Amino acid sequence: MISSVEPIPVTVLGGYLGAGKTTLVNRLLSGDHGRRLAVLVNDFGEVNIDVDLITSHEGETISLQNGCVCCSIADALGESLDRVLALDPAPDQVVIEASGVADPAKVAAYGYGWPGCRLDAVIVLADAETIQAKAKDQFVGELVTRQLRGADLVLVTKSDLVSPEVLDSVLDWVRSIAAVPVLPVSRGEVDPEVVLAMSRSDLDVGSARVATRGTSPLTDAEAMFETATLALPGPLTRARLEATMSLWSQDVVRVKGIVWVAEADGGNAQPHVVQRVGLRWSIEPATTNIDQETEGGRLVVVVLRGTLDAAALIKDLVDAE
Amino acid sequence: MADITVFTARRVRTMEASMPTAEAVAVRDGRIVEVGTLENMAPWLDGYDHEIDDTFSDHVIMPGFIDPHLHPSMAAVLLPMEFTTVVEWDLPWSDIGAVGGRVELLDRLIELDAKLEPEAPLFAWGHHPIWHGEVDRETLNGISATRPVIVWHRGYHSMIVNDACYRWMDIDLEAARRHPQIDVDRGAFFETGLGVAYRHMNSFLLGTERFRAGLDRMRQVIHHGGQTTIGDAAMGMYGFEDEWEHLKAVMERPDTPFRIQLMPFDMGPVGDEESDEAMIERILAYPQRNTHRLRFSDHVKMFADGGFFAELLMLKSPGHLDGRHGEWMTPPERFERVARAFWNAGLRIHVHCTGDLGVEMVLSTLEKLQSERPRFNHRFTFEHFGISSAQQVARMAEVGALASVNAYYVYELSRAFADHTLGYERASQMSRLGSLERAGIRFAVHSDFTMAPAKPLNNAWVAANRLNESGEVMCANERASLDAAIKAITSNAAYVLGLEDEIGSLRWGKQADFTILEADPYDVGAEGLRDIPIWGTVFEGEKFPI
Repeated sequence: MISSVEPIPVTVLGGYLGAGKTTLVNRLLSGDHGRRLAVLVNDFGEVNIDVDLITSHEGETISLQNGCVCCSIADALGESLDRVLALDPAPDQVVIEASGVADPAKVAAYGYGWPGCRLDAVIVLADAETIQAKAKDQFVGELVTRQLRGADLVLVTKSDLVSPEVLDSVLDWVRSIAAVPVLPVSRGEVDPEVVLAMSRSDLDVGSARVATRGTSPLTDAEAMFETATLALPGPLTRARLEATMSLWSQDVVRVKGIVWVAEADGGNAQPHVVQRVGLRWSIEPATTNIDQETEGGRLVVVVLRGTLDAAALIKDLVDAE
Repeated sequence: MADITVFTARRVRTMEASMPTAEAVAVRDGRIVEVGTLENMAPWLDGYDHEIDDTFSDHVIMPGFIDPHLHPSMAAVLLPMEFTTVVEWDLPWSDIGAVGGRVELLDRLIELDAKLEPEAPLFAWGHHPIWHGEVDRETLNGISATRPVIVWHRGYHSMIVNDACYRWMDIDLEAARRHPQIDVDRGAFFETGLGVAYRHMNSFLLGTERFRAGLDRMRQVIHHGGQTTIGDAAMGMYGFEDEWEHLKAVMERPDTPFRIQLMPFDMGPVGDEESDEAMIERILAYPQRNTHRLRFSDHVKMFADGGFFAELLMLKSPGHLDGRHGEWMTPPERFERVARAFWNAGLRIHVHCTGDLGVEMVLSTLEKLQSERPRFNHRFTFEHFGISSAQQVARMAEVGALASVNAYYVYELSRAFADHTLGYERASQMSRLGSLERAGIRFAVHSDFTMAPAKPLNNAWVAANRLNESGEVMCANERASLDAAIKAITSNAAYVLGLEDEIGSLRWGKQADFTILEADPYDVGAEGLRDIPIWGTVFEGEKFPI
């Protein structure tokens, strides 16, 4: 059962023109991620959807066989958001493609403020080949820098088009501006699990699916991340969960799961949805009925491969308790 | 009915250098056949049945005033509202005094509450914290516990409402509470929070009856300002076909004493759905639907940086006083691409441009286009022209740019922007008309109504005096001369719209559009321009007294 008040996660995709937002949107719309996404784009012009996958195209909205919809914002983001929130069934997640000259942090206000929504993450894309030059441009340099500063997660795109040395220096440069996870991406191949929140359909079928998710057909992308899943042996206090998670570094790209959380030691534990992207995280009571198959719930942690031991992170969490 | 009507006047001010003044204008079928003296008109008058109309024997006939840049649709939303701004508005249906401070604002709201129908929402536009201080939900509950009261920011930034308005909007307050840009306790909606408010209000504000009533008020405003031609500088802001139907229904009537030049616009960052070629084809087809008073031509509008009143102008160093940032309305790359497509298609481009970085972006694009494919007579026009440098003006002259300037910024904003937004040096030099004149650049002044009152004489007065609402002269060296200020609402405004062969001055063959004044502006001088009473207008030979 899904409560009607469960807020829908909203992801804002930002970044200057040419950063690869549309490529990512195309991938999300056609991807095999099992979620019904509503993707709000500035225009359909560049969205490249296989016509065989389109089930209907009415006015500003294109519906796809996989349950996703793509909706043109025109110049009324609020109206478009209302339109997709009113869909039946409701989408699992809304992705807003911000305009290239928008400050994504401002667009994000729609995510955390619009009735029925919660902000999942601001993801900003940066073109490995041009980002540093753009950041010095007399007309848009300040804006491009501000876009990066507003991110919870930065994807450095077209990283296959520069040498490894250049890529390293670009990644370092981005990190010097934005203290968040910074991930290189080639050919738009980013694991949807990094971009997308845990969906309501994940919750709907119980936590078991959380553990089986996270595999992607994109082998390159898979190789970039390491995912650890752990069934927690018992409830955690909110204070412990917050304290431990706040110590995790920016190499922790995403955390999601259901955890039985008690407000105080020995208190009554309730299932909570835990989501973290970069340094933005939330612990909200689950309004969906959860089949309790473990004592404490499950957490999925995605880290950059080779940077951290994901299993050890979760072990820290449990040991600390 | 005679073939020819001859309007005689105390003076005819032609705005033609060859014959600056005359005594009479002979008109046939809405067009001028000759300007001069009755004596010199004898060859016409001997040959045709004619009548002498001496209605204006004690008045001055001027070319019909032209306001080349305003927004009828925005006005249609706003004009049904109550005005409570820090400056006075002389609207055809009432004179509205300035609302100078917080106490005055509350007094005005109490007065309006007593006047309105019991259930009608009270929309008051014009609040600005710099002058009116803070107003919140409780303040407005004090105005009325039962009537929705909405206080809207002068620059459309924010909205304060009372509890009755929450009930009227039927808004989910718990959801609104989570919105970072809605302060439920204060009753304040700002930035993106405004979107939440609009969705509860738009069916009311944009309802056909209310919108058309607003447009009808706009008709009166234009007539009272003495304009016989206006430019709609972004046709279709609220939906092209809807606006077209509303405009036809309200404006295309025999008793509308003006015509509207309609400018389609590039959608900016949200327009990529349509190829540039398709957009140009669409724009070139619009004139096919022209009616008598509603006309498209080869002029198009583009947008560079954000609004001036909204303080979203893009600035070169040292930027905004408080470190805030402006906004690009169109990404510079898209701007260049679309401007090139328009330029190469022979269209005449007008660009909304408010800050000196905006001017820089637009000017460097124009320089590029001129070197790729030189054009003369292109009428590329910088619109608004808030902040610029003298060096940019010199470059504008090199590439043949024009300017259509909101001079009124100086009156209402120069002191506030000096203190809060830009510092004194830049604020005092906003809307630099003196530099344009010295560089030989032809310029118009416009109202951008409802940004400024749609009163050409008032805007010419600001242009020639640069007095602000605090009574200070802001940068006397950037004043326009009296002659340039008057050309800016007549002949040069016509030039900016590409209509110089039709309107803007009085000579044979032009439209018989006159603005009838009680005094000659050249006698009155710059100081008195805004106080010259207007008798009314003549539109295509027909008299329309105010």
